[in-house]
Amino acid sequence: MTQIAAASNSLYKWVDERLGLTEIIAFASHKTVPAHKHSFWYYWGGISLFLFLLQCFTGVLLLVYYRPGIDAYESVRQINFVMHFGWLIRSAHSWSANLFIFAIMVHMFSVFLMKAYRKPREFGWFSGLALLAIATVFGFSGYLLPMDELSYFATKVGLQIPTALPWIGTVIANMLRGGTEVTEFTVERFFALHVVVLPAIFLPLLSFHLWLVQRHGNALPPEEELKPAAERKSIPFFPNFFRKDLGMWLISLNVLALLASVFPWALGKPFDPLAPAPAGIHPEWYFMAPFEMLKVLGNWMPGAAGEIAGLLLFSTGIVLWVLIPFYDTTKENGRRARNAHYFGIAAITLLLITTILGYWTI
Amino acid sequence: MNEPVKSNNIEEVTDLTTRRAFIAAAGAAGIVYTAAVGYPVYRYLASPAEMAASAAAVTEVSLKDAQKIPTGSALMFKFGPSPAMLIHHEDGTWVAFTAVCTHLGCTVQYEPAANRIHCACHGGVYDPNTGANVSGPPPKPLKRFTVLVNAADVKISRA
Amino acid sequence: MNYPFWNIPYLGSSWVIGIIAIFHVMISQFAVGGGFYLLFAERKAMREGRTDWHQQLIKHSKFFLTITGIYGTVSGVGIWFAIGLTHPEATSTLIHNFVFGWAIEWVFFMVELITAAVYYYTWDKIDPKLHLKVGWVYAGASAATLIIINGILTFMLTPGDTWLAVAGTGAEASKFWFAFFNPTYWPSLLLRSAVCISLAGVWALVTSSCIDGDKFPALKSSLVKWSVKWLMAAFVIVPFALIWYLWMVPASQRALLTLGIDTIGAGTFSVVTRIALLIIITSATIVGVAYQLAYKNPIDFNLSTAISILLLALMATAAGEYSREMLRKPYVIGGWMYSNGVRVKYVDAINRNGYLKDSLWVWKDSAGQSSSYSRGEAIFRGECSSCHTLDGYRPIRQLLAGRDRANIASFLKMLHEYKADSPYRRFMPPLSGTAEDVNDLTEYLNYQVNPPATKPQTLAQK
Repeated sequence: MTQIAAASNSLYKWVDERLGLTEIIAFASHKTVPAHKHSFWYYWGGISLFLFLLQCFTGVLLLVYYRPGIDAYESVRQINFVMHFGWLIRSAHSWSANLFIFAIMVHMFSVFLMKAYRKPREFGWFSGLALLAIATVFGFSGYLLPMDELSYFATKVGLQIPTALPWIGTVIANMLRGGTEVTEFTVERFFALHVVVLPAIFLPLLSFHLWLVQRHGNALPPEEELKPAAERKSIPFFPNFFRKDLGMWLISLNVLALLASVFPWALGKPFDPLAPAPAGIHPEWYFMAPFEMLKVLGNWMPGAAGEIAGLLLFSTGIVLWVLIPFYDTTKENGRRARNAHYFGIAAITLLLITTILGYWTI
Repeated sequence: MNEPVKSNNIEEVTDLTTRRAFIAAAGAAGIVYTAAVGYPVYRYLASPAEMAASAAAVTEVSLKDAQKIPTGSALMFKFGPSPAMLIHHEDGTWVAFTAVCTHLGCTVQYEPAANRIHCACHGGVYDPNTGANVSGPPPKPLKRFTVLVNAADVKISRA
Repeated sequence: MNYPFWNIPYLGSSWVIGIIAIFHVMISQFAVGGGFYLLFAERKAMREGRTDWHQQLIKHSKFFLTITGIYGTVSGVGIWFAIGLTHPEATSTLIHNFVFGWAIEWVFFMVELITAAVYYYTWDKIDPKLHLKVGWVYAGASAATLIIINGILTFMLTPGDTWLAVAGTGAEASKFWFAFFNPTYWPSLLLRSAVCISLAGVWALVTSSCIDGDKFPALKSSLVKWSVKWLMAAFVIVPFALIWYLWMVPASQRALLTLGIDTIGAGTFSVVTRIALLIIITSATIVGVAYQLAYKNPIDFNLSTAISILLLALMATAAGEYSREMLRKPYVIGGWMYSNGVRVKYVDAINRNGYLKDSLWVWKDSAGQSSSYSRGEAIFRGECSSCHTLDGYRPIRQLLAGRDRANIASFLKMLHEYKADSPYRRFMPPLSGTAEDVNDLTEYLNYQVNPPATKPQTLAQK
């Protein structure tokens, strides 16, 4: 026992002299994380990060057998039915993608409502929103890759939306589609987007985001800010908070294992461009709210006017959402802070209602 | 807390044994997790190798007395790990296919009355002469074997 | 036979039992384990003179009484309503066989309810030693309810050869003890006891996480640490008990573990196997999380983490109950009654005389005539709907989609013939009835799967 201990000690010393582990541990245990009754929301950033790592892991495994282009459906079918546990890996990839976007959304809304976007964390807010935007593009491009019936029609409908834009709409849509129709060219460019372009943008942005978190630390919610410094509680980042983070990761992994193995992700029929769209075609849940809003506005204002109004409404909302740190700036919780809070509640309510409405009226 | 010193000691000792038990449990949990993630990933990556191995394992099957089956009937047999069928057509020709539906892997059936090979799971239909997928969900034809009819047996081998 | 099966669209009547029963199990197992938890905690507090524990235990026992006395009791009675409506045949068999067992259970159940209330309301009012004795009576009575109901639950999976030999002769009750102490009785009892003990610890973590760690650090850390130890029982015992349990299950049922047909292709374990593995993984997660978050860090341990552990534990329990039900396929009472309520030995008679021979539940038109469609509907409700719905759980419309009438007919023929090598044999009962019954069912299903443009005459009158 003592020999093993001595050996591991000297190994640690050897590495420490070269990499400075003790410094890192000292630094990490010096850092603190605030502890209060809203602490629970601090874990969602870490959960998102963990799910992203899972995406990379399962994504690389799928890459081993996936073939873009004309063969796309056949290769996914092979992964699902021929390769051992291919169904599980594909299912884990799809489920963790959805959980990933869900976790980012929870993270975003909790940041919004705890007002963690205020000075000096504006860049954290912007980079986080950009990461969410990229994640949804990840989702949209990944959805097409199996080229089954549902993904084909969902992509077809999704790529119709930009055509409503005057002048440049059709050009953008054709550029994304690689032609005037969704074909194997679309799969090929979506594939390039999904595995090369998006990760190349996402990873540096993620590093920037994490660096900002480490630089500014966790924000306190307004009600904690009001307390005198002596009454605020905090726990060391290492090992206490880190341990809790790991616990949450383990739980996320467990939830994912449950979903992926008990509810395996289905593979539909191969797409057929001449077949009519199957009944009840709808986008992924995170696009359901804008989809439903366009639908409702389209019913009020027929023709392109509805779509343009919808796009305008949506872009205005997003711009306001992005710019909130410039509106609600001060720690004194005045009128602007209240307005921002109401805006957040209204946005969440609107998204929830339109999403539920969307599923209700499929 | 003004507890006696002795009980504190006992507490520490039980604490230590509990911690040891927990570390053992955490180790076991770690093994469970590694196995739960590692095994599927290994099998997934090893699939082509396993397929090649099982494909290479069997190249020929000999079916004793199979030359006696009447015309218009079929004989099910195993080619390697998977089921296969030997059909003696009304016109006296012989043909053999894998009996695994190319859709979801159910075992298919020869139906002489309807002159078709049928998969009961999702209704796939194949041509009994060529193995071509005629209707229903199957994406590919059935794989065909080479048939050699002898006096005492029928030899089936990979085409 | 031929009760008008309680028709629940989308969900399926079986899930009505499922939801109520899973909810009930989560609470009733807490009621059994939690009794022992309170007992041992009270004894420890008494011996070591911990007044702070004493105060906390009073709070915990109030929580305990509320959860078990209200939700546990109501859901338990709910199971009786649900099984009577969804599965009258199986309920009848169980009552004929176990009426005496159930009577005993109800006695213990009454004792349990009364002592739970007495235990809570007599804290600090009677002699502490007497109070502890009340705790013992409660714990004993609640354990007895588990000991009895376990015999009936395991009977449904493995009635045992001795009972099966007398089944249907009217003398079933003479083999009561064989049916009760059936092959899976002991492994199941061990499994459930371990889960009860662990669930007691999990629920205790919920109440002890609410203690203010700044004001009462010694109380919180000692109680959280002590409660975490209760979780270990499940982690140590469950995998072994699970293997023992599966070992005692008949081979035909065990075959369900390696079956992949109702799911998908390669490398697939069946649902039952996947869930069994998930239970083991989830127990590992629970122990890992409980050690890292509660044991190593009791002062910071908060309600949200406790709830996470609770949800994981409930998830594992629910998954376990679901897979236990799946394992019983194609029977509701192993070897004796199929999951659609048809007794195995009556199948031949039904095939001769028709499924609807004594049925009063077929839709008839004004002339008193039933149509092929309406007879098919009655057969569907009787023989299929205990597992399938039209559009929801195990949806028939989706499962048969893409088949034309002839194709549906050939599929039903296969279920009717029920040949020894039929892959459906392992989890589905045969389709019992005459050729005409099969044809009527085909008519009904074809109408559902491939709806005609105009409604048939008889349907319009309905």
